[in-house]
Amino acid sequence: MNQDPREFPQNARAALNDPLLRPALGRLKTHFGAGRAAAVARYGDFEALREAGRDIRDYAVTHLDELLIAFEASVNARGGTVHWARDAAEARRLILSILQDAGARTVTKGKSMVTEEIALNPFLEANGIVPVETDLGEYIIQLRKEPPSHIIAPAFHLSKEQVADTFREAHTELDPARPLTERNALVQEARAMLRRQFESADAGITGANFLSAAEGAAIIVTNEGNGDLTRLLPKTHIVVTGIEKVVADMDDVAVLLRLLPRSATGQPISTYVSVMAGPRGCGEADGPEDFHVVLVDNGRSKLIGTEAQDVLRCIRCSACINHCPVYGAIGGHAYGATYMGPIGAALNPGMMSVAEAGHHANASTFCGRCAEVCPVLIPLPKIMRHWRAVEYAGGLAPKTIVRGLGIWAFAAKRPALYRFGASLLARILKMIGRGGTVHALPVMHGWFAVRDFPAPQGKTFQAQWRARR
Amino acid sequence: MNGRETILASIRARRLAQTPRPTPYRAPPTTGDLPQIFAKKLSAQYADVRMLDSMADVPAAIADILRGLNMAARIHIPPDSELASLELANVEIRREPPGAFDAAVTTAPFAIAETGTLAYPAGKGAPASWHFRPVLEIAILRASSIVAELEDVLAALPVGLPSTLNLVSGPSRTGDIEQTMELGAHGPKALAVLIVRDS
Amino acid sequence: MSARPRVGLFVTCLVDLVRPQIGFAAVKLLEQAGCDVEIPAVQTCCGQPAWNAGADGHAGDIARAVIAAFEGFDHVVAPSGSCAGMIKRHYPEVFANDAAWLARARALAQKTHELMSFLVKVRGVTGVPAQFAQKVCYHDSCSSLREMGVKAEPRALLASVGGLSIVELADPQTCCGFGGLFSVKYPEISERMADDKIADAGATGADTLIGGDLGCLLHLAGRMKRQGKTLAVRHAAEVLADMGGEPALGETGQ
Repeated sequence: MNQDPREFPQNARAALNDPLLRPALGRLKTHFGAGRAAAVARYGDFEALREAGRDIRDYAVTHLDELLIAFEASVNARGGTVHWARDAAEARRLILSILQDAGARTVTKGKSMVTEEIALNPFLEANGIVPVETDLGEYIIQLRKEPPSHIIAPAFHLSKEQVADTFREAHTELDPARPLTERNALVQEARAMLRRQFESADAGITGANFLSAAEGAAIIVTNEGNGDLTRLLPKTHIVVTGIEKVVADMDDVAVLLRLLPRSATGQPISTYVSVMAGPRGCGEADGPEDFHVVLVDNGRSKLIGTEAQDVLRCIRCSACINHCPVYGAIGGHAYGATYMGPIGAALNPGMMSVAEAGHHANASTFCGRCAEVCPVLIPLPKIMRHWRAVEYAGGLAPKTIVRGLGIWAFAAKRPALYRFGASLLARILKMIGRGGTVHALPVMHGWFAVRDFPAPQGKTFQAQWRARR
Repeated sequence: MNGRETILASIRARRLAQTPRPTPYRAPPTTGDLPQIFAKKLSAQYADVRMLDSMADVPAAIADILRGLNMAARIHIPPDSELASLELANVEIRREPPGAFDAAVTTAPFAIAETGTLAYPAGKGAPASWHFRPVLEIAILRASSIVAELEDVLAALPVGLPSTLNLVSGPSRTGDIEQTMELGAHGPKALAVLIVRDS
Repeated sequence: MSARPRVGLFVTCLVDLVRPQIGFAAVKLLEQAGCDVEIPAVQTCCGQPAWNAGADGHAGDIARAVIAAFEGFDHVVAPSGSCAGMIKRHYPEVFANDAAWLARARALAQKTHELMSFLVKVRGVTGVPAQFAQKVCYHDSCSSLREMGVKAEPRALLASVGGLSIVELADPQTCCGFGGLFSVKYPEISERMADDKIADAGATGADTLIGGDLGCLLHLAGRMKRQGKTLAVRHAAEVLADMGGEPALGETGQ
């Protein structure tokens, strides 16, 4: 399977034919879907909370420069350092240089989609630094050399048997005859293996769910506690984050903390919420000596002022992914990109290009379920449609579609011609579909590949209506 | 232009409009017997929550928790902790950081009833990593320090945000294998909370 | 507004071409509900295929023609959540940068309705004199549910049909996989989504699948025909207008 969004159709087909994927995808509804629905029902006025979240994020996105400057000043005041990366390559170089200055050889990592986006791990490895993923799902896929298939549950696509096989292959110092049929045994094994890594790492890298400008804090939420062991034990802590993650202050964060876990897994709060504000304080036993924040643009700022701007509100909860019927059919790897499902469809054509990621915006029925569950009311189908319009205007839409639409539109603007053409078509299709259905046509291969077409009744409504009146 | 100037210029050049600072959001209020509400929420997240009449009951509760989990009669308490003067008969007290199979006893200066959450500002005597290292964390808190919401904790912090503020709402868990929850992923597998009523 | 409102029926291109009896059913229901129904001859398509494909020029041209043809009526009614949704929710978006047409689009949007919600909410219809002694399951189209807010009204009307019992799908919120051009651009994904919906419908034990959007119904009926499945498919308007004796989708009645 290829990490190339242009290969979406083939990758989707492969995913549809993968029997191992189906039980995992079934869990989207039973676990994520049911979880969110229950949490929303218990909350009270969840709509008011969504609107508050949207307003907080809109304020942040439309005051982004001001808040980033305030954030930087607050971090500096606490003895930390902020770095600004225009693109993935610059972010990688900045992170490498911080690690090299710190003399770091091993680095533990909390889950960070941005580090996935900038392809950090292979770059560190190529430069003699060993990154160790500590989120259990990320650890598993790191061992398997796979990309994540979901933004909060990276190993979502795997069965426990697949995980057990991976552990047997990777943890060679353990007794090969040990039983690994229970999930709990797998978790305890990972805990033991990674505890050593936490304790010996020279540096820790985390992402940030939010940045708070007034206090100069980065906030992460986990259920495992791995993010905390990543950043509290080593000497150096680097937060790698998108520029759009900043909000005005911790009261704004408190509101968003009500939205994020409920929308993601249905929890009222994640087990661990960690507010990290600078290097360790005077007299403290734990915490980094050096606190760095790397702010990554990588195509985000260029969405400001466009019809896609609202996508910058995203708090990366994954609700849209969990409720998307297309993701529910093909899973995450088919998208071939860091961000998948509806948020991927809204982001990737902008952050990458329409030429590269056009399929993401096109592989949607616009059912609207994503927008219905988005905690910050991002109009996701509207943004996907915008990318389709950019694609169409740029001459990048498939020629058959453009031609077909051209013919259709030509007729649709000429009522008499349309009525004539429709009558003819209705008669022809009725003849072809004599048994009631049309089984094949020399056009519309996509339809007839998997469906018949119920034959028309033979005369159009308009023709019959004129005849009656 | 460096990265900072380029990014800021890009943001400023493209911005079309600004939305105003929103009016502060009020969550559905958490009112009533806050310690009860807190205890109920945290118990629902697989924590062992007990109400005690006074600090004098703490040693027996600790011993009982350790016995119930089949653990050795040994706990770790941070040096310079509020609990430095705690005395337990027949339970060994260690001062170094707990290992992956040890028990730690900590004090929570605040707790949040809305979500069943312990709030730990880091500081001298309150090392942040102790909430993640051991297999069992026993948290002691006064009933009067339980507030309604996170916003109340933020407002109550004496000198603003410390270098680390940890919010803990249960033992460590993961759903990363087949979306089925297992406890004890990296942090403690067990969390016990002793709520001490004030005299 | 007169006692008998003037309703412009937006027939929809699929109804016109493939299954005109849905149009006649709509006329009958609207007349039964005390409306004077007119069918502007110039109507062709609402422009949604062009709009969804990002062909904004074509969409604008078609939308202007629809607005001009229909804005004189008291109400515009379509037997389709998808076409009604295009006019009501998306025409204002088509003309976001054209103040004059935006005003006209908004005015038309205000009085555009999906058929069954119009009957129940605007005309106060509580029941229909129809018979259809079958167990049916109901398919909510995504546009009916999310763009037009239609959910209770079809069920209320169907409940009044003599002999008819409704059994709900286990998962009515999940898209059937039609999505207009999506069905031909990504046929295998569309197929999987159809099969999931069909399995859900099959599990209800219903004899007939009823829905309010012909696009979804053609897609599901076509897939079932390919698989040799026997669950009948009809548009709700036909059943409500007591035309349930006609051949179902893809059937000739022979």
